Amino acid sequence: MVRLLTHNILACHAKDCNTNNFPLEFKDVQLEIREAEFNPEFLKGFLPKLEWKALVDTAIQLGDTSLPLEQPEMLDDEFLKNLHHVLLEIHVEEGSMTCPNCKHVYPISNGIPNMLLAEHEIG
Amino acid sequence: MAPRPLQAAKVEGEPEIYETQNVHAIYDDIAAHFSSTRYKPWPIIANFLSSLTTGWVGLDSGTGNGKYLPLPLDRPGDVWTIGLDRSKNLLQIARKAGANGVVREVLVGNVLDNPWRPGVFDYAISIATIHHLSTHERRRSAVKRLLESVSPDHGRVLIYVWAIEQDELSKRRVVSEDDIPSLTGKDVVVPWVLSKELSSAEKSLSDGGPQEPQVYNRYYHMFAQGELRGLVIEAAAELGLQVASKPEDVPKNTRGVEIVHDGWERSNYYVELKLW
Repeated sequence: MVRLLTHNILACHAKDCNTNNFPLEFKDVQLEIREAEFNPEFLKGFLPKLEWKALVDTAIQLGDTSLPLEQPEMLDDEFLKNLHHVLLEIHVEEGSMTCPNCKHVYPISNGIPNMLLAEHEIG
Repeated sequence: MAPRPLQAAKVEGEPEIYETQNVHAIYDDIAAHFSSTRYKPWPIIANFLSSLTTGWVGLDSGTGNGKYLPLPLDRPGDVWTIGLDRSKNLLQIARKAGANGVVREVLVGNVLDNPWRPGVFDYAISIATIHHLSTHERRRSAVKRLLESVSPDHGRVLIYVWAIEQDELSKRRVVSEDDIPSLTGKDVVVPWVLSKELSSAEKSLSDGGPQEPQVYNRYYHMFAQGELRGLVIEAAAELGLQVASKPEDVPKNTRGVEIVHDGWERSNYYVELKLW
């Protein structure tokens, strides 16, 4: 699966691609929405580790505009529910992710991204 | 069945190609059958996953059928473990691991790569995986990747590998009584007799009449006592990490890794690490 939880973690790892290699850019995506159990405590713990701008920009690109551009100081229920939906309920089933720096394309098939590189691309 | 000695492996040619043929291709073919035999989480691993802080996100490097992805069972969703494996067929099983139709996060990838933000994970586990790498250098690199994948401030790591010393419950026996205990482990092939009903191999779909069951010989490096700890010490040195408990006052620009536990359990060596 590629949910935005995972997307916020992944970065390009091609040889010598060390800067501007995050976030990977989704292309030609097919989305599926699946309900997931709401766990506010998980979200509160994970929040400080998120790259917030990457998350908001990617969510907007996938058509979800529910998140504020800046992380709010007050974590109310409405915000946490929106965050839950963006991180854990939007599944990218098909498509690809392109590195903004080296343009390497990581394909996504059956909901599983392929992060392998060809032999000559490995650092 | 009496334990039987294992055949020694002859590792030849490029290690990547050797592992592709003698590990990765086999797991894709035996995925369904293999998965049906791997369902019970081991207690030390389950306890490790139960002890994690709510909100943590981790990596399962070499997740196989994903049996650790749903843990801890008593507080589901408090942590998220992302599974990485080379076998697409095993990952198809892993993404549905556990009950309730919950979908898991899985990635096709190599345990020697690091396709994520450095130090982004809070924890990493690698269970029964590093022993499939066919050189000492590659096994050390795999340990380095785990240390690099987790937070330098609080990252926790748990590694399990097969031991030369197999207990009486194991079907396998590596060391015969007159063997001298090895210090550097042993390269062996471990046969897998594939149940035809559970074959994931494409070629079996077009089978004609009855056939002999297919036997696959998977490559394993069986670890000697102290070898896993040695790999950790080497990997830490290459990353400039001290191997010690966290001092009360951490000197400036000093980072380290503590070996919290290491030992032998049920035919495996394991080591638990904590970064500081």
